[in-house]
Amino acid sequence: MSATEIVFYCIAFFMIASGLGVVLARNIVHSALALILALGAVAGVYVILTVEFLALTQLVVYGAAVIMLVLFALMLTRARERPQALFGKNRPIAFVIAAGLLTAFIAGIVASEWATTNPDDIEPLPFQEIGDVLFSAWAVPFEVISVVLVIAMAGAILLSQPDQGEQ
Amino acid sequence: MPEIVLSEFAGLSLPDWIDALIRIVFIVALMTVNALALIYLERKILARFQQRVGPTRTGPFGMLQSAADALKLLTKEDVRPTSADRWVFELAPYFAFVPVFLVFIPIPWTETWIVRDLELGFLYVFGVLGLNLVGVVMAGWGSDNKYALLGAVRAAAQAISYELPMLLVSVGVILIVAARLTVDGGSAFGAVNLNVIALEQTTTPFILLQPLGFAIFMIGALAELHRPPFDMPIAESEVVGGYFVEYSGIRWSFFFLAEYTALLLLVVIGSTVFLGGWNFPFGEDVGLGLQVLLTIAKTSAVIFILFWSRAVLPRLRIDQLMAFSWKVLLPFSIVQVLANAIILAYGGGEWIIGITSLALLLLLIGLVYGRARTLSRGAGRSLNKQPARPRLITAHDPAGGD
Repeated sequence: MSATEIVFYCIAFFMIASGLGVVLARNIVHSALALILALGAVAGVYVILTVEFLALTQLVVYGAAVIMLVLFALMLTRARERPQALFGKNRPIAFVIAAGLLTAFIAGIVASEWATTNPDDIEPLPFQEIGDVLFSAWAVPFEVISVVLVIAMAGAILLSQPDQGEQ
Repeated sequence: MPEIVLSEFAGLSLPDWIDALIRIVFIVALMTVNALALIYLERKILARFQQRVGPTRTGPFGMLQSAADALKLLTKEDVRPTSADRWVFELAPYFAFVPVFLVFIPIPWTETWIVRDLELGFLYVFGVLGLNLVGVVMAGWGSDNKYALLGAVRAAAQAISYELPMLLVSVGVILIVAARLTVDGGSAFGAVNLNVIALEQTTTPFILLQPLGFAIFMIGALAELHRPPFDMPIAESEVVGGYFVEYSGIRWSFFFLAEYTALLLLVVIGSTVFLGGWNFPFGEDVGLGLQVLLTIAKTSAVIFILFWSRAVLPRLRIDQLMAFSWKVLLPFSIVQVLANAIILAYGGGEWIIGITSLALLLLLIGLVYGRARTLSRGAGRSLNKQPARPRLITAHDPAGGD
Protein backbone atom coordinates (compact mmCIF):
# COMPACT_ATOMS: atom_id res chain seq x y z
CA MET A 1 0.00 0.00 0.00
CA SER A 2 1.54 3.30 -1.04
CA ALA A 3 1.55 6.42 1.10
CA THR A 4 -1.07 8.01 -1.14
CA GLU A 5 -3.40 5.07 -0.60
CA ILE A 6 -2.98 5.19 3.17
CA VAL A 7 -3.78 8.90 3.14
CA PHE A 8 -6.75 8.28 0.88
CA TYR A 9 -8.22 5.60 3.14
CA CYS A 10 -7.74 7.82 6.19
CA ILE A 11 -9.55 10.66 4.43
CA ALA A 12 -12.27 8.31 3.18
CA PHE A 13 -12.84 6.91 6.66
CA PHE A 14 -13.00 10.43 8.04
CA MET A 15 -15.41 11.51 5.31
CA ILE A 16 -17.79 8.60 5.86
CA ALA A 17 -17.66 8.99 9.63
CA SER A 18 -18.45 12.69 9.50
CA GLY A 19 -21.08 12.07 6.81
CA LEU A 20 -22.80 9.64 9.16
CA GLY A 21 -22.43 12.26 11.84
CA VAL A 22 -24.31 14.75 9.66
CA VAL A 23 -27.23 12.36 9.27
CA LEU A 24 -27.31 10.77 12.69
CA ALA A 25 -26.54 13.66 15.05
CA ARG A 26 -29.54 14.49 17.22
CA ASN A 27 -28.57 18.14 17.39
CA ILE A 28 -28.77 20.00 14.11
CA VAL A 29 -25.82 22.27 14.91
CA HIS A 30 -23.70 19.17 15.45
CA SER A 31 -24.85 18.01 12.01
CA ALA A 32 -23.69 21.28 10.49
CA LEU A 33 -20.32 21.03 12.25
CA ALA A 34 -19.90 17.45 11.02
CA LEU A 35 -20.73 18.70 7.52
CA ILE A 36 -17.70 21.00 7.72
CA LEU A 37 -15.49 17.99 8.42
CA ALA A 38 -17.10 16.04 5.57
CA LEU A 39 -16.58 18.89 3.10
CA GLY A 40 -13.01 19.35 4.34
CA ALA A 41 -12.39 15.65 3.67
CA VAL A 42 -13.72 16.13 0.13
CA ALA A 43 -11.14 18.90 -0.26
CA GLY A 44 -8.54 16.37 0.87
CA VAL A 45 -9.64 13.99 -1.89
CA TYR A 46 -9.24 16.83 -4.39
CA VAL A 47 -5.68 17.32 -3.17
CA ILE A 48 -4.96 13.63 -3.73
CA LEU A 49 -6.37 14.01 -7.25
CA THR A 50 -3.85 16.90 -7.70
CA VAL A 51 -6.48 19.59 -8.23
CA GLU A 52 -5.37 21.87 -5.40
CA PHE A 53 -7.29 24.77 -6.88
CA LEU A 54 -10.57 22.90 -6.52
CA ALA A 55 -9.63 21.86 -2.99
CA LEU A 56 -8.99 25.44 -1.92
CA THR A 57 -12.15 26.66 -3.63
CA GLN A 58 -14.01 23.98 -1.72
CA LEU A 59 -12.55 25.30 1.54
CA VAL A 60 -13.23 28.95 0.72
CA VAL A 61 -16.77 28.46 -0.57
CA TYR A 62 -18.11 25.60 1.54
CA GLY A 63 -15.84 25.54 4.57
CA ALA A 64 -15.92 29.22 5.30
CA ALA A 65 -18.91 30.81 3.59
CA VAL A 66 -21.76 28.34 3.06
CA ILE A 67 -21.43 26.49 6.34
CA MET A 68 -21.11 29.77 8.16
CA LEU A 69 -24.46 30.88 6.75
CA VAL A 70 -26.01 27.53 7.70
CA LEU A 71 -24.73 27.94 11.25
CA PHE A 72 -26.00 31.51 11.28
CA ALA A 73 -29.48 30.39 10.40
CA LEU A 74 -29.42 27.57 12.94
CA MET A 75 -28.10 29.68 15.78
CA LEU A 76 -30.43 32.58 15.28
CA THR A 77 -33.55 30.45 15.03
CA ARG A 78 -33.82 28.38 18.18
CA ALA A 79 -33.26 25.21 16.16
CA ARG A 80 -31.46 23.76 19.16
CA GLU A 81 -34.60 23.53 21.23
CA ARG A 82 -36.38 21.26 18.78
CA PRO A 83 -33.92 18.49 17.91
CA GLN A 84 -36.54 15.80 17.37
CA ALA A 85 -37.82 17.60 14.25
CA LEU A 86 -35.05 15.81 12.35
CA PHE A 87 -36.69 12.41 12.74
CA GLY A 88 -40.12 12.39 11.20
CA LYS A 89 -42.38 9.51 10.24
CA ASN A 90 -41.01 9.58 6.69
CA ARG A 91 -37.81 8.02 7.90
CA PRO A 92 -38.34 4.56 6.31
CA ILE A 93 -39.08 6.13 2.92
CA ALA A 94 -36.00 8.32 3.22
CA PHE A 95 -33.96 5.26 4.11
CA VAL A 96 -35.19 3.36 1.03
CA ILE A 97 -34.46 6.29 -1.28
CA ALA A 98 -31.03 6.87 0.22
CA ALA A 99 -30.15 3.18 -0.02
CA GLY A 100 -31.32 3.13 -3.64
CA LEU A 101 -29.20 6.16 -4.48
CA LEU A 102 -26.17 4.66 -2.76
CA THR A 103 -26.57 1.41 -4.72
CA ALA A 104 -26.96 3.35 -7.97
CA PHE A 105 -23.83 5.41 -7.29
CA ILE A 106 -21.72 2.39 -6.35
CA ALA A 107 -22.98 0.50 -9.40
CA GLY A 108 -22.19 3.50 -11.59
CA ILE A 109 -18.68 3.85 -10.17
CA VAL A 110 -17.94 0.14 -10.54
CA ALA A 111 -19.34 -0.05 -14.07
CA SER A 112 -17.56 3.06 -15.39
CA GLU A 113 -14.45 2.82 -17.52
CA TRP A 114 -11.90 4.97 -15.70
CA ALA A 115 -8.89 6.34 -17.57
CA THR A 116 -6.66 5.05 -14.81
CA THR A 117 -6.99 3.52 -11.39
CA ASN A 118 -3.33 3.94 -10.51
CA PRO A 119 -2.75 7.07 -8.42
CA ASP A 120 0.74 7.50 -9.90
CA ASP A 121 -0.74 8.04 -13.39
CA ILE A 122 -2.68 11.16 -12.37
CA GLU A 123 -1.32 14.18 -14.20
CA PRO A 124 -1.36 17.42 -12.20
CA LEU A 125 -3.77 19.86 -13.80
CA PRO A 126 -2.45 23.44 -13.88
CA PHE A 127 -5.11 25.63 -12.36
CA GLN A 128 -4.95 28.20 -15.16
CA GLU A 129 -6.40 25.58 -17.50
CA ILE A 130 -9.50 25.53 -15.32
CA GLY A 131 -9.69 29.28 -15.76
CA ASP A 132 -9.14 29.05 -19.51
CA VAL A 133 -11.97 26.58 -20.13
CA LEU A 134 -14.21 28.29 -17.58
CA PHE A 135 -14.08 31.54 -19.54
CA SER A 136 -14.09 30.01 -23.04
CA ALA A 137 -15.77 26.63 -23.49
CA TRP A 138 -17.94 26.85 -20.39
CA ALA A 139 -18.58 30.59 -20.41
CA VAL A 140 -22.34 30.20 -20.96
CA PRO A 141 -22.98 27.78 -18.06
CA PHE A 142 -20.77 30.01 -15.91
CA GLU A 143 -22.93 33.02 -16.74
CA VAL A 144 -26.13 31.03 -16.21
CA ILE A 145 -24.94 30.10 -12.72
CA SER A 146 -24.32 33.75 -11.92
CA VAL A 147 -27.85 34.60 -13.11
CA VAL A 148 -29.22 31.88 -10.84
CA LEU A 149 -27.27 33.33 -7.95
CA VAL A 150 -28.57 36.82 -8.63
CA ILE A 151 -32.14 35.49 -8.72
CA ALA A 152 -31.57 33.68 -5.43
CA MET A 153 -30.19 36.84 -3.91
CA ALA A 154 -33.11 38.94 -5.12
CA GLY A 155 -35.50 36.34 -3.73
CA ALA A 156 -33.76 36.36 -0.37
CA ILE A 157 -33.97 40.13 -0.18
CA LEU A 158 -37.66 40.05 -1.13
CA LEU A 159 -38.45 37.38 1.47
CA SER A 160 -36.55 39.07 4.27
CA GLN A 161 -38.07 42.49 3.67
CA PRO A 162 -40.44 43.68 6.35
CA ASP A 163 -44.07 43.99 5.27
CA GLN A 164 -44.46 47.26 3.46
CA GLY A 165 -47.99 47.76 4.79
CA GLU A 166 -50.35 50.01 2.84
CA GLN A 167 -48.49 52.42 0.63
CA MET B 1 16.08 31.00 12.59
CA PRO B 2 18.77 29.32 10.43
CA GLU B 3 17.62 25.84 11.50
CA ILE B 4 14.79 25.95 9.03
CA VAL B 5 17.13 25.84 6.07
CA LEU B 6 19.82 23.57 7.47
CA SER B 7 19.04 20.90 4.93
CA GLU B 8 19.29 23.33 2.03
CA PHE B 9 22.23 25.48 3.05
CA ALA B 10 24.69 23.46 5.07
CA GLY B 11 24.58 20.64 2.57
CA LEU B 12 23.08 18.34 5.18
CA SER B 13 20.76 15.73 3.78
CA LEU B 14 18.20 15.31 6.51
CA PRO B 15 15.39 12.79 6.14
CA ASP B 16 12.11 14.42 5.17
CA TRP B 17 10.41 13.78 8.47
CA ILE B 18 13.20 15.36 10.53
CA ASP B 19 13.16 18.34 8.19
CA ALA B 20 9.40 18.65 8.62
CA LEU B 21 9.74 18.29 12.40
CA ILE B 22 12.35 21.06 12.56
CA ARG B 23 10.11 23.36 10.57
CA ILE B 24 7.12 22.63 12.82
CA VAL B 25 9.13 23.21 16.00
CA PHE B 26 10.41 26.45 14.55
CA ILE B 27 6.87 27.64 13.74
CA VAL B 28 5.54 26.73 17.19
CA ALA B 29 8.40 28.62 18.83
CA LEU B 30 7.86 31.62 16.58
CA MET B 31 4.13 31.64 17.36
CA THR B 32 4.63 31.62 21.10
CA VAL B 33 7.39 34.21 21.14
CA ASN B 34 5.42 36.39 18.73
CA ALA B 35 2.29 36.35 20.87
CA LEU B 36 4.21 37.13 24.07
CA ALA B 37 6.19 39.92 22.41
CA LEU B 38 3.18 41.47 20.68
CA ILE B 39 1.09 41.51 23.86
CA TYR B 40 3.93 43.20 25.75
CA LEU B 41 4.56 45.72 22.97
CA GLU B 42 0.87 46.47 22.57
CA ARG B 43 0.52 47.20 26.27
CA LYS B 44 3.62 49.40 26.23
CA ILE B 45 2.63 51.30 23.10
CA LEU B 46 -0.97 51.80 24.21
CA ALA B 47 0.27 52.97 27.58
CA ARG B 48 2.51 55.56 25.93
CA PHE B 49 -0.42 56.84 23.87
CA GLN B 50 -2.42 57.25 27.07
CA GLN B 51 0.46 58.87 29.02
CA ARG B 52 1.00 55.86 31.23
CA VAL B 53 4.10 53.69 31.49
CA GLY B 54 2.55 50.25 31.10
CA PRO B 55 4.02 47.13 32.71
CA THR B 56 7.26 47.89 34.57
CA ARG B 57 7.56 45.51 37.51
CA THR B 58 8.24 42.10 35.99
CA GLY B 59 11.74 41.86 34.60
CA PRO B 60 13.66 44.70 32.93
CA PHE B 61 11.12 47.27 31.63
CA GLY B 62 8.37 44.80 32.50
CA MET B 63 9.43 42.57 29.64
CA LEU B 64 8.57 39.37 31.47
CA GLN B 65 4.99 40.48 32.12
CA SER B 66 3.62 38.43 29.20
CA ALA B 67 5.53 35.35 30.30
CA ALA B 68 4.18 35.73 33.83
CA ASP B 69 0.65 36.14 32.46
CA ALA B 70 1.09 33.04 30.32
CA LEU B 71 2.19 31.02 33.34
CA LYS B 72 -0.77 32.28 35.30
CA LEU B 73 -3.14 31.29 32.50
CA LEU B 74 -1.66 27.81 32.23
CA THR B 75 -2.20 27.13 35.90
CA LYS B 76 -5.71 28.59 36.05
CA GLU B 77 -8.73 26.37 36.50
CA ASP B 78 -10.40 25.30 33.27
CA VAL B 79 -14.04 26.20 33.86
CA ARG B 80 -16.89 24.90 31.74
CA PRO B 81 -20.47 26.11 32.21
CA THR B 82 -22.76 23.21 33.11
CA SER B 83 -25.23 24.10 30.36
CA ALA B 84 -22.51 24.35 27.70
CA ASP B 85 -22.43 21.89 24.83
CA ARG B 86 -19.46 19.88 26.07
CA TRP B 87 -17.65 18.82 22.91
CA VAL B 88 -18.35 21.95 20.91
CA PHE B 89 -17.22 24.10 23.83
CA GLU B 90 -14.02 22.18 24.49
CA LEU B 91 -12.96 21.72 20.87
CA ALA B 92 -13.66 25.29 19.78
CA PRO B 93 -10.26 26.76 20.83
CA TYR B 94 -8.43 24.17 18.74
CA PHE B 95 -10.62 24.81 15.71
CA ALA B 96 -9.80 28.48 16.09
CA PHE B 97 -6.10 27.80 16.49
CA VAL B 98 -5.17 25.05 14.01
CA PRO B 99 -6.11 26.95 10.79
CA VAL B 100 -3.98 29.90 11.90
CA PHE B 101 -1.08 27.53 12.51
CA LEU B 102 -1.48 26.03 9.03
CA VAL B 103 -1.27 29.46 7.37
CA PHE B 104 2.46 29.63 8.19
CA ILE B 105 3.24 27.16 5.41
CA PRO B 106 3.45 29.43 2.32
CA ILE B 107 4.78 32.60 3.98
CA PRO B 108 8.05 33.75 2.36
CA TRP B 109 10.26 35.12 5.16
CA THR B 110 13.07 35.49 2.67
CA GLU B 111 13.51 34.39 -0.92
CA THR B 112 14.28 30.83 0.19
CA TRP B 113 13.05 30.58 3.78
CA ILE B 114 9.60 29.17 3.24
CA VAL B 115 8.15 26.17 4.99
CA ARG B 116 6.76 24.97 1.67
CA ASP B 117 6.58 27.05 -1.50
CA LEU B 118 2.93 26.56 -2.48
CA GLU B 119 1.96 27.41 -6.04
CA LEU B 120 -1.48 28.58 -4.87
CA GLY B 121 -0.10 30.17 -1.72
CA PHE B 122 -2.30 33.23 -1.63
CA LEU B 123 -5.51 31.29 -2.18
CA TYR B 124 -4.36 28.77 0.41
CA VAL B 125 -3.89 31.49 3.00
CA PHE B 126 -7.43 32.75 2.67
CA GLY B 127 -8.96 29.31 2.26
CA VAL B 128 -7.41 28.08 5.49
CA LEU B 129 -7.58 31.26 7.53
CA GLY B 130 -11.33 31.47 6.89
CA LEU B 131 -11.77 28.16 8.70
CA ASN B 132 -10.81 29.68 12.02
CA LEU B 133 -14.25 31.31 12.01
CA VAL B 134 -15.65 27.84 12.63
CA GLY B 135 -13.85 27.79 15.96
CA VAL B 136 -15.18 31.23 16.84
CA VAL B 137 -18.75 30.28 16.00
CA MET B 138 -18.41 26.96 17.86
CA ALA B 139 -17.19 28.86 20.92
CA GLY B 140 -20.06 31.32 20.74
CA TRP B 141 -22.70 28.69 20.30
CA GLY B 142 -21.25 26.05 22.58
CA SER B 143 -20.97 28.40 25.55
CA ASP B 144 -24.76 28.65 25.78
CA ASN B 145 -24.48 32.33 26.57
CA LYS B 146 -26.35 35.07 24.75
CA TYR B 147 -23.40 37.46 24.77
CA ALA B 148 -21.06 34.80 23.45
CA LEU B 149 -23.52 33.92 20.68
CA LEU B 150 -23.95 37.57 19.72
CA GLY B 151 -20.20 38.03 19.67
CA ALA B 152 -19.73 34.97 17.47
CA VAL B 153 -22.44 36.04 15.04
CA ARG B 154 -20.87 39.47 14.82
CA ALA B 155 -17.42 37.96 14.28
CA ALA B 156 -18.68 35.75 11.47
CA ALA B 157 -20.67 38.50 9.78
CA GLN B 158 -17.75 40.88 10.00
CA ALA B 159 -15.16 38.40 8.76
CA ILE B 160 -17.29 37.32 5.78
CA SER B 161 -17.99 40.94 4.84
CA TYR B 162 -14.42 42.16 5.05
CA GLU B 163 -12.85 39.12 3.42
CA LEU B 164 -14.49 40.06 0.11
CA PRO B 165 -12.87 43.49 -0.39
CA MET B 166 -9.56 42.10 0.88
CA LEU B 167 -9.59 39.30 -1.65
CA LEU B 168 -10.73 41.58 -4.46
CA VAL B 169 -7.96 44.14 -3.99
CA SER B 170 -5.47 41.30 -3.86
CA VAL B 171 -6.91 40.08 -7.16
CA GLY B 172 -5.93 43.52 -8.46
CA VAL B 173 -2.30 42.80 -7.53
CA ILE B 174 -2.48 39.27 -8.93
CA LEU B 175 -3.74 40.71 -12.23
CA ILE B 176 -0.63 42.88 -12.48
CA VAL B 177 1.64 39.94 -11.65
CA ALA B 178 -0.14 37.73 -14.19
CA ALA B 179 0.15 40.44 -16.85
CA ARG B 180 3.90 40.69 -16.22
CA LEU B 181 4.35 36.93 -16.30
CA THR B 182 2.48 36.58 -19.60
CA VAL B 183 4.13 39.54 -21.28
CA ASP B 184 6.36 37.40 -23.49
CA GLY B 185 3.69 34.85 -24.14
CA GLY B 186 4.66 33.08 -20.92
CA SER B 187 2.21 31.32 -18.65
CA ALA B 188 0.47 33.03 -15.75
CA PHE B 189 1.24 30.00 -13.60
CA GLY B 190 2.55 31.18 -10.26
CA ALA B 191 0.79 34.53 -10.12
CA VAL B 192 -0.94 33.35 -6.93
CA ASN B 193 2.33 32.24 -5.37
CA LEU B 194 3.28 34.60 -2.54
CA ASN B 195 6.97 34.29 -3.30
CA VAL B 196 6.43 35.12 -6.98
CA ILE B 197 4.36 38.14 -5.97
CA ALA B 198 7.26 39.27 -3.77
CA LEU B 199 9.78 38.59 -6.56
CA GLU B 200 7.84 40.89 -8.90
CA GLN B 201 8.46 43.79 -6.52
CA THR B 202 12.24 43.96 -6.70
CA THR B 203 12.06 47.45 -8.18
CA THR B 204 8.68 48.86 -7.18
CA PRO B 205 6.58 47.64 -4.27
CA PHE B 206 2.96 47.24 -5.27
CA ILE B 207 1.84 49.84 -2.75
CA LEU B 208 2.92 52.44 -5.34
CA LEU B 209 0.77 50.80 -8.01
CA GLN B 210 -2.13 49.93 -5.72
CA PRO B 211 -2.31 52.40 -2.82
CA LEU B 212 -6.07 51.87 -2.61
CA GLY B 213 -5.46 48.12 -2.50
CA PHE B 214 -3.09 48.44 0.45
CA ALA B 215 -5.49 50.69 2.35
CA ILE B 216 -8.45 48.35 1.85
CA PHE B 217 -6.33 45.31 2.68
CA MET B 218 -5.24 46.80 5.98
CA ILE B 219 -8.75 47.94 6.90
CA GLY B 220 -9.96 44.43 6.11
CA ALA B 221 -7.16 42.95 8.21
CA LEU B 222 -8.19 45.11 11.17
CA ALA B 223 -11.75 43.85 10.83
CA GLU B 224 -10.72 40.21 10.35
CA LEU B 225 -8.63 40.39 13.51
CA HIS B 226 -11.42 42.02 15.55
CA ARG B 227 -9.10 44.83 16.48
CA PRO B 228 -10.32 48.31 17.37
CA PRO B 229 -11.91 50.28 15.77
CA PHE B 230 -13.56 47.13 14.42
CA ASP B 231 -13.68 45.11 17.64
CA MET B 232 -17.44 44.66 17.70
CA PRO B 233 -17.29 40.86 18.32
CA ILE B 234 -15.36 41.31 21.56
CA ALA B 235 -16.58 44.77 22.54
CA GLU B 236 -16.48 44.80 26.33
CA SER B 237 -19.15 47.42 26.74
CA GLU B 238 -21.71 45.59 24.58
CA VAL B 239 -21.10 41.86 24.57
CA VAL B 240 -18.75 41.66 27.60
CA GLY B 241 -15.87 39.96 25.84
CA GLY B 242 -17.76 38.26 23.05
CA TYR B 243 -17.38 34.67 22.00
CA PHE B 244 -14.76 33.72 24.60
CA VAL B 245 -16.60 35.20 27.57
CA GLU B 246 -17.12 31.76 29.14
CA TYR B 247 -13.56 30.55 28.61
CA SER B 248 -10.76 30.61 31.14
CA GLY B 249 -7.24 29.36 31.58
CA ILE B 250 -5.55 27.49 28.77
CA ARG B 251 -8.53 27.46 26.39
CA TRP B 252 -8.86 31.21 26.64
CA SER B 253 -5.14 31.61 25.97
CA PHE B 254 -5.55 29.49 22.83
CA PHE B 255 -7.93 32.11 21.46
CA PHE B 256 -5.44 34.83 22.24
CA LEU B 257 -2.57 32.89 20.73
CA ALA B 258 -4.63 32.42 17.57
CA GLU B 259 -5.52 36.10 17.48
CA TYR B 260 -2.00 37.44 17.81
CA THR B 261 -0.65 34.86 15.38
CA ALA B 262 -3.30 35.84 12.86
CA LEU B 263 -2.27 39.46 13.38
CA LEU B 264 1.34 38.62 12.52
CA LEU B 265 0.32 36.48 9.55
CA LEU B 266 -2.08 38.94 7.96
CA VAL B 267 0.45 41.74 8.33
CA VAL B 268 3.25 39.62 6.86
CA ILE B 269 1.00 38.70 3.94
CA GLY B 270 -0.01 42.33 3.50
CA SER B 271 3.60 43.44 3.48
CA THR B 272 4.54 40.63 1.10
CA VAL B 273 1.81 41.50 -1.36
CA PHE B 274 1.97 45.29 -1.14
CA LEU B 275 5.27 46.34 0.45
CA GLY B 276 7.60 43.97 -1.36
CA GLY B 277 8.13 41.47 1.44
CA TRP B 278 11.82 40.63 1.72
CA ASN B 279 12.88 43.01 -1.07
CA PHE B 280 14.93 46.06 -0.38
CA PRO B 281 12.97 48.96 -1.88
CA PHE B 282 13.85 49.98 -5.43
CA GLY B 283 15.94 47.10 -6.56
CA GLU B 284 18.85 47.03 -4.13
CA ASP B 285 20.05 43.44 -3.81
CA VAL B 286 20.78 42.39 -0.24
CA GLY B 287 21.85 39.07 1.20
CA LEU B 288 19.59 36.54 2.82
CA GLY B 289 20.39 37.74 6.31
CA LEU B 290 19.19 41.23 5.51
CA GLN B 291 16.10 39.93 3.72
CA VAL B 292 14.71 38.53 6.94
CA LEU B 293 15.46 41.81 8.70
CA LEU B 294 13.56 43.63 5.96
CA THR B 295 10.56 41.36 6.40
CA ILE B 296 10.63 41.98 10.14
CA ALA B 297 11.06 45.74 9.70
CA LYS B 298 8.14 46.09 7.29
CA THR B 299 5.96 43.85 9.41
CA SER B 300 6.73 45.70 12.62
CA ALA B 301 6.08 49.06 10.99
CA VAL B 302 2.62 47.94 9.88
CA ILE B 303 1.87 46.32 13.24
CA PHE B 304 2.81 49.59 14.94
CA ILE B 305 0.32 51.42 12.71
CA LEU B 306 -2.36 48.91 13.70
CA PHE B 307 -1.61 49.48 17.42
CA TRP B 308 -1.63 53.21 16.76
CA SER B 309 -5.05 53.07 15.14
CA ARG B 310 -6.31 51.15 18.15
CA ALA B 311 -5.15 53.94 20.43
CA VAL B 312 -6.55 56.89 18.49
CA LEU B 313 -9.65 55.78 16.56
CA PRO B 314 -13.14 55.59 18.08
CA ARG B 315 -15.06 52.37 17.72
CA LEU B 316 -17.73 51.98 15.04
CA ARG B 317 -21.25 50.68 15.56
CA ILE B 318 -22.00 47.22 14.19
CA ASP B 319 -24.41 48.48 11.50
CA GLN B 320 -21.95 51.20 10.43
CA LEU B 321 -19.30 48.52 10.26
CA MET B 322 -21.28 46.29 7.92
CA ALA B 323 -22.42 49.25 5.81
CA PHE B 324 -18.83 50.43 5.46
CA SER B 325 -17.77 47.10 4.03
CA TRP B 326 -20.68 46.47 1.67
CA LYS B 327 -21.45 50.01 0.55
CA VAL B 328 -18.01 51.60 0.50
CA LEU B 329 -15.12 49.14 0.42
CA LEU B 330 -16.71 46.53 -1.83
CA PRO B 331 -17.67 48.94 -4.67
CA PHE B 332 -14.24 50.55 -4.48
CA SER B 333 -12.43 47.24 -4.68
CA ILE B 334 -14.61 46.07 -7.59
CA VAL B 335 -13.87 49.31 -9.44
CA GLN B 336 -10.18 48.80 -8.69
CA VAL B 337 -10.15 45.29 -10.14
CA LEU B 338 -12.12 46.34 -13.22
CA ALA B 339 -9.85 49.35 -13.77
CA ASN B 340 -6.75 47.17 -13.52
CA ALA B 341 -8.20 44.60 -15.91
CA ILE B 342 -9.23 47.20 -18.49
CA ILE B 343 -5.93 49.11 -18.34
CA LEU B 344 -3.90 45.90 -18.61
CA ALA B 345 -6.08 44.46 -21.37
CA TYR B 346 -5.62 47.56 -23.51
CA GLY B 347 -1.89 47.63 -22.83
CA GLY B 348 -1.83 50.76 -20.69
CA GLY B 349 1.34 51.37 -18.71
CA GLU B 350 1.53 50.40 -15.08
CA TRP B 351 1.87 54.04 -14.06
CA ILE B 352 -1.74 54.54 -15.27
CA ILE B 353 -2.81 51.83 -12.81
CA GLY B 354 -0.94 53.61 -10.05
CA ILE B 355 -2.57 56.95 -10.82
CA THR B 356 -6.06 55.41 -11.07
CA SER B 357 -5.60 53.67 -7.77
CA LEU B 358 -4.30 56.82 -6.10
CA ALA B 359 -7.27 58.80 -7.43
CA LEU B 360 -9.66 56.15 -6.11
CA LEU B 361 -7.92 56.23 -2.73
CA LEU B 362 -8.25 60.02 -2.53
CA LEU B 363 -11.92 59.69 -3.46
CA LEU B 364 -12.40 57.11 -0.71
CA ILE B 365 -10.66 59.30 1.86
CA GLY B 366 -12.72 62.27 0.74
CA LEU B 367 -15.97 60.32 1.05
CA VAL B 368 -15.14 59.02 4.52
CA TYR B 369 -13.97 62.43 5.69
CA GLY B 370 -17.06 64.18 4.31
CA ARG B 371 -19.35 61.63 5.93
CA ALA B 372 -17.55 61.97 9.25
CA ARG B 373 -17.89 65.75 9.04
CA THR B 374 -21.62 65.57 8.40
CA LEU B 375 -22.10 63.07 11.20
CA SER B 376 -20.11 65.05 13.73
CA ARG B 377 -21.93 68.27 12.79
CA GLY B 378 -25.27 66.56 13.28
CA ALA B 379 -24.15 64.91 16.51
CA GLY B 380 -24.86 67.87 18.76
CA ARG B 381 -28.37 68.34 17.46
CA SER B 382 -29.41 64.70 17.45
CA LEU B 383 -28.46 64.10 21.07
CA ASN B 384 -32.02 64.68 22.22
CA LYS B 385 -33.47 62.34 19.66
CA GLN B 386 -34.24 58.69 20.24
CA PRO B 387 -31.31 56.47 19.25
CA ALA B 388 -31.89 54.89 15.85
CA ARG B 389 -33.37 51.43 16.15
CA PRO B 390 -31.57 48.68 14.20
CA ARG B 391 -33.47 48.27 10.96
CA LEU B 392 -33.14 44.51 10.63
CA ILE B 393 -34.97 43.72 13.82
CA THR B 394 -38.00 45.93 13.44
CA ALA B 395 -40.80 44.28 11.51
CA HIS B 396 -42.67 47.52 10.93
CA ASP B 397 -40.25 50.36 10.53
CA PRO B 398 -42.23 53.58 10.25
CA ALA B 399 -39.22 55.47 8.94
CA GLY B 400 -38.02 52.79 6.57
CA GLY B 401 -40.77 52.65 3.93
CA ASP B 402 -39.29 53.23 0.51
